[in-house]
Amino acid sequence: MAQDRPKILIIDDEDVVLDSCVQILEGSSCQVATANDGALGLQLLQELRPDLVFIDLMMPGISGVEVLEQTRELDPSVVTIVITGYATVGSAVEAMKRGAYDFIPKPFTPDEFRLITQRGLERRRLVLETMTLRREKELLKDHFAAIVSHELKAPLGAVQQNLFALTQDLSGALTDGQRKRLERMQSSIESLLVLIHTWLRAYSADIEGLRDRFKPTCVRKVVAKAIESVQPHASRKDIEIVASVKEPLGSIQGDEGTLAEALTNILSNAVKFTRVGGKVLVRADEEDNAISISVTDTGLGIAEEEMPYIFEGLHVGKSVPAAERGSGLGLAITRRIIDAHQGSITVESQLGRGSTFVIHLPTLEAGPCSRHEPDADVVAESHQGGNE
Amino acid sequence: MSPRRRLLVIDDDPDFVEGITPILTGADYEVDVAYNPKDGLQALQAKSYDLLLLDIMMGRGAEGVMIARKMRKDPRLRDMPVLIITGIREQIAFLFPGGPLHPHFMAVDELVEKPVEPQLLLERVSALLQAAEARKSPAT
Repeated sequence: MAQDRPKILIIDDEDVVLDSCVQILEGSSCQVATANDGALGLQLLQELRPDLVFIDLMMPGISGVEVLEQTRELDPSVVTIVITGYATVGSAVEAMKRGAYDFIPKPFTPDEFRLITQRGLERRRLVLETMTLRREKELLKDHFAAIVSHELKAPLGAVQQNLFALTQDLSGALTDGQRKRLERMQSSIESLLVLIHTWLRAYSADIEGLRDRFKPTCVRKVVAKAIESVQPHASRKDIEIVASVKEPLGSIQGDEGTLAEALTNILSNAVKFTRVGGKVLVRADEEDNAISISVTDTGLGIAEEEMPYIFEGLHVGKSVPAAERGSGLGLAITRRIIDAHQGSITVESQLGRGSTFVIHLPTLEAGPCSRHEPDADVVAESHQGGNE
Repeated sequence: MSPRRRLLVIDDDPDFVEGITPILTGADYEVDVAYNPKDGLQALQAKSYDLLLLDIMMGRGAEGVMIARKMRKDPRLRDMPVLIITGIREQIAFLFPGGPLHPHFMAVDELVEKPVEPQLLLERVSALLQAAEARKSPAT
């Protein structure tokens, strides 16, 4: 509550009821105000901004139901409890349908009234707390990118910059061991910076704003870009990435860079979970105005019970070896990117056998992008295994 | 060989500045540093520099953008090459939602992300100096 003393307003046309309520609450820490008709009640509501309002349903003049509705309109966070003169469940249910939190039938005992007051105030406290938390969450989400970038990335970046400078300054004076240590520090900081970058991608509003930048995009280029970026990792593990891209292949409406990022996430998982010397297949196909890009690995596979969670943020698979653990955000980001492209992503997996992820994207009617587009040819060369 | 080129760094993070100045002086550039936008603008007015290394996020926000804006209005500073150094590309995306990641604040500018590897930094600096030179004396 805004103040230490919660404010309660009681609106009832019977002075006896008002007096006894005030009496019951006397000695409690509450500040109590009363109104003997709806009009005065609404006026006090505006002036006092109470936490909890009791409203008698049967009043001459403005009806209780109307007072209830106007209260909800004025401030939906105010907790309202209706007093039903005749203990019909019907009118109470009707009032609760219109937003009342609870009802108390007349006549009531002091204990009953104290109890419902306590519950109403508790409810108000929860409502306010939820609102504050929600606001904080929104604020944090909005500013997350800015906060993280400055507070985390700036000092880390400065450390890295100084390591660069030191390594260069001392290039003649370092022993092999010292140089290796400096390199390890640099690569650790690099991983941290990449991790922060991934977090930023997952939380920033950037993905939602993506649609403004959509343009006809060549799927072949997206595939080639993604393969290119995981190639070093694959080569280190002696894994062959075999790509087969249907010819001709259509375009889609989207953003090349982000789509490549989405596919890279899937590909790099495939490489991560495939054993040394294994194969990862990438297949791009087109059928019925839809393009599908599938990535099949012969890796660890995903346990059935984990399937529902793999696209949720922060999920890290149980079977993932410690050395290969990531942020658990890759697939969540991927799904957000694919969703923004009006596409879908599906997965089939068998534990111990491997997984196949398939991205489905609607084809753009403009027709296939030319194979002979200059940079399409350049990237085509970076394919491993070549086209079919 | 032409006289030593003079560079100005405007960046409010002294730790980061310490990490790039040795790289630049090591490559025989003369380097001045301003640690806030105000000193930076004063230095730009007082001395003549061949290139500016400009941080975007300074002080309470994107004060680097404000410097670029002032430079564009100044005929003497308008054509100075600028290497924009930014914490992350997201900052640019954050400042100019929906815009390109390299907004081209100046006639001759280039964008690098912090931290920047020594080789890349020196490449960009020398490429910008050359580009500015080429603009001054049209190729024959």
